[in-house]
Amino acid sequence: MSDFFNFDTLSLHAGQTVDKEFGARATPIYQTTSYVFPDTDTASSIFNLERGGHAYSRITNPTVGVLEQRIAALEGGSAAVCTSSGMAATFCAITAILSQGDHIVASSQMYGGNISLMKNTLPRFGITATFVDPTDTDGFRNAIQDNTRLIYGELIGNPGLDILDLEAIAAIGAEHHVPFMVDATFNTPYLCRCFDYGANITIHSVTKWMGGHGTAVGGVVVDGGNFDWGATDKYPTITEPYAPFQGINLWEEFGPSAFATRIRAEAMRDFGPSMAPMNAFLLLQGIETLSLRMEKHRSNTEKMLEYLSNHDRVSWVSHPSMPSHSSHELAKKYLPKGAGSILSFGVKGGRDAGKAFIENVELASHLANVGDAKTLIIHPATTTHSRIDAEALVAAGITEDMIRLSVGLEDVRDIQADFETGFRAAKKVSGA
Amino acid sequence: MGFRTRQIHAGVTPDPTTGAILTPIYQSTTFVQPSVDEYLSKGFSYSRSGNPTVRALEAKLADLEGGADCAAFGTGMSAVTGTMLAFLNAGDHAIISDVAYGGTYRLCTKVLSRFGIDFTFADGSNTDDVASSVRDNTALILTETPANPTMKCSDIAAISEVAKKAGAIHAVDNTFLTPYYQRPFELGADLSIHSTTKYMDGHNATVGGAVISKTAELAEKVRFIQNSTGSIMSPQVAWLTLQGCKTLSVRMDQQSANAMAIAEYLEAHPKVEQVCYPGLKSFAQHELSSRQASGYGAMLWFEVKGGLAAGKKLMDTIDVWTLAENLGSVESLITHPVTMTHADVEEAERKRVGIIDGLVRLSVGLEDEEDLIGALEKALKQI
Repeated sequence: MSDFFNFDTLSLHAGQTVDKEFGARATPIYQTTSYVFPDTDTASSIFNLERGGHAYSRITNPTVGVLEQRIAALEGGSAAVCTSSGMAATFCAITAILSQGDHIVASSQMYGGNISLMKNTLPRFGITATFVDPTDTDGFRNAIQDNTRLIYGELIGNPGLDILDLEAIAAIGAEHHVPFMVDATFNTPYLCRCFDYGANITIHSVTKWMGGHGTAVGGVVVDGGNFDWGATDKYPTITEPYAPFQGINLWEEFGPSAFATRIRAEAMRDFGPSMAPMNAFLLLQGIETLSLRMEKHRSNTEKMLEYLSNHDRVSWVSHPSMPSHSSHELAKKYLPKGAGSILSFGVKGGRDAGKAFIENVELASHLANVGDAKTLIIHPATTTHSRIDAEALVAAGITEDMIRLSVGLEDVRDIQADFETGFRAAKKVSGA
Repeated sequence: MGFRTRQIHAGVTPDPTTGAILTPIYQSTTFVQPSVDEYLSKGFSYSRSGNPTVRALEAKLADLEGGADCAAFGTGMSAVTGTMLAFLNAGDHAIISDVAYGGTYRLCTKVLSRFGIDFTFADGSNTDDVASSVRDNTALILTETPANPTMKCSDIAAISEVAKKAGAIHAVDNTFLTPYYQRPFELGADLSIHSTTKYMDGHNATVGGAVISKTAELAEKVRFIQNSTGSIMSPQVAWLTLQGCKTLSVRMDQQSANAMAIAEYLEAHPKVEQVCYPGLKSFAQHELSSRQASGYGAMLWFEVKGGLAAGKKLMDTIDVWTLAENLGSVESLITHPVTMTHADVEEAERKRVGIIDGLVRLSVGLEDEEDLIGALEKALKQI
């Protein structure tokens, strides 16, 4: 499959070669653990990375492979590796290049799980992080230390929705020979291809808009193929002989996909957070309609913003497409096709009113996910970000009255009618 | 209730809405909350942190092992990784039985060493060697018994005593025998690890793993690291594994009986140099195997006279037996560990622990004993 097709064509075809045996148009679900080898020499060469081929589904699987190639093509990356969840993608990407004594410069405005991983878990293994306000681009430069090996942020921060200045931060990374990894979950390659602006690695929770239907948990790491790992001696896991494979030098052998190969050869083999073939199939189905869904998410989001901005029970509304949002200019630059379908707003009457609102809407589901085809709402301070302390809560841009809305694909009139019920209940509680 | 009843019923209750006798596949990322104050009141928020189908499998495995709780992982290796990350920090030390799956060996020596964790590979068959490897900072002892691929056994009760004295956790990789034959908690261990890919699923359909903890406190630590690193089992995999578990004892008994017959056949064959199966009287640790387990399992290895060259010829020509990685399933598999499963273990280390070049590993399946032996007979004739 050529990389030169346009986005919508790639979202339907990239990575798939039609099944040779029966001509099945859809990708078969290879629900198998292992693959029969024709002979011992072939087996041995597959194990030694001397040739491609499948040995065992923890490491590679044909169904998962189609999804990996499709996402790599949509992102414009060199290769991709799928994982059992978005958190596993983050974990594998970090540990592929960082070891004890290394350091990360990370945005402070990220999903609570990412912050907890870097604040609580990775320090146990000697990896530390400095968190920087995502709107303070110079802050990223100032936080870089001699042992910094990664810059990491979410393009659209969760849940404050501040946007990273990709080009400026990528330039800081390039200046210090530090790769820039972007969590692109909220934008998907449809809204922004981060490699076009200098990012080196993207990760996604494909659980969200990429899959789009709330059916399968999964993650992916995409190698941008645009980082010169060999320019310094800072990345020995990529540039030094890799003993488990006869001392192979991944940088020399695999060049632009050396980073992805390291994840495959190490994280998938040794840590083992593999994606199940069934999940890959469900996610492939989702990606086939990515463009259509993202367009509808955008138009519904615009209508909801207008509705909420004019509503007398709403104290504030925040979305990067609004001129009042601090990241509005960056949104215009990096996200011209839409700044995502997450928005936040405050219900007049504070915490109690917010709670009454959430409990009285019916169509919108109260839950801890985003990016479903269905409209979802949540109160971040008591749920997704409840495990981080008050100071980090402020740094992450969360207020007590905040309601996060993931705008779905329903008829927007029905979402608004549902919200009216919620607002009436909120009004009763606040008594004003 | 007995094991065979529990392997079918434990963890599974009929669906309250429809009465479906099987647990539905909850192929859903997320769960609707009734209200802010009732967040998590139904037990689930997001499928990385917990999923009802996966939970049913976890409950079944915890029950079968006699543990407090279980965390199901995406693969056996992610179960091993989860165990190590849960109980080891930078600066800590762990002791691993010196014969273990090649992936476990590689995880310790090539990956976790990058995060400041030290490992000693001790002879699990010699409890004194394990005891003398203990250091002040030893936090974990992991034994795989019988070990892949040499079948070397570790004395679970004796090593659990060593661990207790050292204040360390004793984790047993119980993949080869499953709780049907071997019950690590009754022998004093703290954790039982499985690649559910093997006997639990039993049909070569899924890759999966599990860590069963003896206490709720240990389980909480495993669950925390699993949620932090996102290493989870998918609902459909859990469902398939749930079905596999229901025939565990039947498969184990039949596959083990096949293995015993094959081991005896090979031992008597003039072209075979040596056979290693815990059920044979000639097995060095036959007494220990008989004492700490109620069955010998379906894994064995042998060496053909003529070593590596003869072994490769046998593997490349044999029918019925399939040349593939994996083990423990209904299909009989033949594997050459030196080039396949244990290729990453350095030659010197392989030699030291007895993974010889001519070692041919058999995972005995459910086919007719006569067909399996007939295929071996035909292949041996061609050498």
